[in-house]
Amino acid sequence: MVQCTSIKVSEGWQQTEVLLVRLGQCIIGLAVLLTIAGCGAQKAEFNNREDINVLIPEAQDHVREVLATHFGQPTRMVLWERMPVHYHGASGVFAENAATAGKTLSKLNVTLTEENLPIEEGQELAWISGKYLGQPNPHVVSFDATASQVGIEPGLAEPPGAGDRFAIAPGEVLIHGRILYAEHCQHCHGVSGDGNGPTAKYLNPRPRDYRLGKFKFKSTSSSAKATRDDLSRIIEEGIPGTYMPSFKLLKEEENRAIVEYVRWLAMRGEVEFKLIQALKNDYSNEAVASQVASARESDSTLSASAAREKVVADLNEYLTGDWQEEFNDDTKFQAEQWVQAEEPSALVIPKLARVPDTPESRAHGRELYLSAKAKCATCHGDSGLGDGSQTLSVQKNPATNADYDTPGLFDDWGNPVKPRNLTRGIYRGGRRPLDLYRRIHAGISGTPMPAFGTVLKDEEIWDIVNYVMNIPFEARDRQPGSGAGTSGAGAPEVATTR
Amino acid sequence: MVWPIAAVVLCWLAPGWNWWFPAGPSGTGAAMSPLGERIDDLFYMILIITTVTFVGTQIGLGYVLFTGARRSDQPEDAEGEKAWFSHGSHNLEVVWSIVPAAVLLFIALYQMEVWAEYRVQDAFPKQVIRTGPLAEVTARQFEWRIRYPGVDAEGNPLELKPDPQPTDLYTVNDLRLPSSQPVMIWLRSEDVQHSFFLPELRVKQDAVPGLVIPVWFEAIKSTEYSMLCAELCGWGHYKMKSRLVATPEDEWRVWLQELQVEQNYDGVSDESNDE
Repeated sequence: MVQCTSIKVSEGWQQTEVLLVRLGQCIIGLAVLLTIAGCGAQKAEFNNREDINVLIPEAQDHVREVLATHFGQPTRMVLWERMPVHYHGASGVFAENAATAGKTLSKLNVTLTEENLPIEEGQELAWISGKYLGQPNPHVVSFDATASQVGIEPGLAEPPGAGDRFAIAPGEVLIHGRILYAEHCQHCHGVSGDGNGPTAKYLNPRPRDYRLGKFKFKSTSSSAKATRDDLSRIIEEGIPGTYMPSFKLLKEEENRAIVEYVRWLAMRGEVEFKLIQALKNDYSNEAVASQVASARESDSTLSASAAREKVVADLNEYLTGDWQEEFNDDTKFQAEQWVQAEEPSALVIPKLARVPDTPESRAHGRELYLSAKAKCATCHGDSGLGDGSQTLSVQKNPATNADYDTPGLFDDWGNPVKPRNLTRGIYRGGRRPLDLYRRIHAGISGTPMPAFGTVLKDEEIWDIVNYVMNIPFEARDRQPGSGAGTSGAGAPEVATTR
Repeated sequence: MVWPIAAVVLCWLAPGWNWWFPAGPSGTGAAMSPLGERIDDLFYMILIITTVTFVGTQIGLGYVLFTGARRSDQPEDAEGEKAWFSHGSHNLEVVWSIVPAAVLLFIALYQMEVWAEYRVQDAFPKQVIRTGPLAEVTARQFEWRIRYPGVDAEGNPLELKPDPQPTDLYTVNDLRLPSSQPVMIWLRSEDVQHSFFLPELRVKQDAVPGLVIPVWFEAIKSTEYSMLCAELCGWGHYKMKSRLVATPEDEWRVWLQELQVEQNYDGVSDESNDE
């Protein structure tokens, strides 16, 4: 389009003038190009985990194919019904509809199983099963909630079978979520939810990588997933002490749509992660090389390529055979976990109301904080500064059981983490007593913060909560020159307990 | 001639197209605070002065160009009028120095009272001095964190202390204050410079790291207003859009009590005890 090379200046001023004009053209051309290209435009395409590269190319192709079939791309999304995501505006099954001889049927009795958006005129009604599957989708013209009746246009000659499934506004929640995600979240959390968007590199702590399916601040028991409400609350309130801001002005419907999209990204990431883990053992470049080597050792006439072909044939046999069932079981289990998290039984709810916040309770909390039973001080430090002895020792990676290269604590995403400095009064997962109780009871998923729900009794957890909530004020009162009358009641007694 | 006419017509039509102050809760773009109305009066006064000056000087310029084009600088030219060089005229220099100076001085003196009331603590309304700040707004990259005093056993708001207290209550991006009375906040910044901007109330005040700046305002109407950051504070500056919700004072007190209950929730005390 624009040429700015190979101009000889030797022919004097005339040439120089041409050069200047060309230079001007180049700058304009460059500016136009930059305007069109933008700075670091992101492709609306999912990228793969980096560790996919340890697999042999054939196995990599399989992982990509599975993800493409079950999740697609951001702009060509595949709604995999196995995953418990609120994809549609509404969905349900048809109830009994009497056949109308000769007349078209335009009002259908339905039973809604899920209603995520208000049902409105003009929305598409998609057939998900039954005899109309594959036929053109009609549009909703009316909805009677009390009679549970949907009016459609064009009408049908015959009623759909009772129990046949349908969706109204198919995929619209997820599509809305994707658009909002691209606007508000993507620049930090990345297109694939890998926490590596263009602005991520300026942030400490790093934005969450959803692809392990783990979220730190949740209301459920230690091994359970996060609930929709947990994610929704984080979007609304932000996470103090990090770069995650509050998105309070989003409407509830928008907030919920983002939550569904984030959950979908987390599920996609988890499928990818587990798939790579499953294939890594036998079909990493390294494993295949050693298999080839050992095969050739036992049979010296075998050529390297023939030996490798045999391994690839094994892989294909596995993928068309046992793997199918394993994948089904794994993904069903994964989906079940997300469903279970939404059940009331998954929530961490104290059996005992908060112990009154008395000096005695705080003193007992302090004792526990320092005790071998709760071990809080080993990470959070004797005075809550987050400088406990564990921050200086070399830790083991729970995934590989090998030592980390540097001393200190790490999270499951491989980032170094510091135990919270409790003197600052900043609580990432919320500052209600209930939030602190849950952090102690269920630990913090993906981090070295363990769950104490089985070790400590409810009273003991509440005592620790009372103590921890008072640390910021206690620390301030210890500072020389801090003003009188600013202390919380009873703080000095606690400080001198030991 | 097309452009000046188009400009005048456009200026005339612009407010009707909402190309003026944000329509806001008033629907017309009028200020939603008593001091804001006075600030608007000042703005319109200056707009009128500058418009008269601008139009006047343009007409003068047009006249000079139009008549000057017919004159000649040749003394022999008897037909046309002889050009008149005004450069170096002492009288003219004095006139066009003193007139603008007088106008500027007038503006400077005329706005002083509004400015003082807006910014000088001694001139703040007596009521806000008496009640003190009702909230502390802390700007950070990229949100507004707000600290309120707690409530006592009778449900009355406590006094807001400079340092955080165990009884304090917190919200984010959601400033709630009583309407129809002057209220004061403390403004701080946790990191870089931000600017606290309530466009409908005509309040704009920089939040400077290390300073606690008192800001007062009065919302006429009980409704929701925009609360923005007006200082480019980093890549996420645009994310700092939040809200100010002004409600009658008794509603505000109830809200504060509810916030206290919510903030002290332990997951067990059931709803009926939380009243």
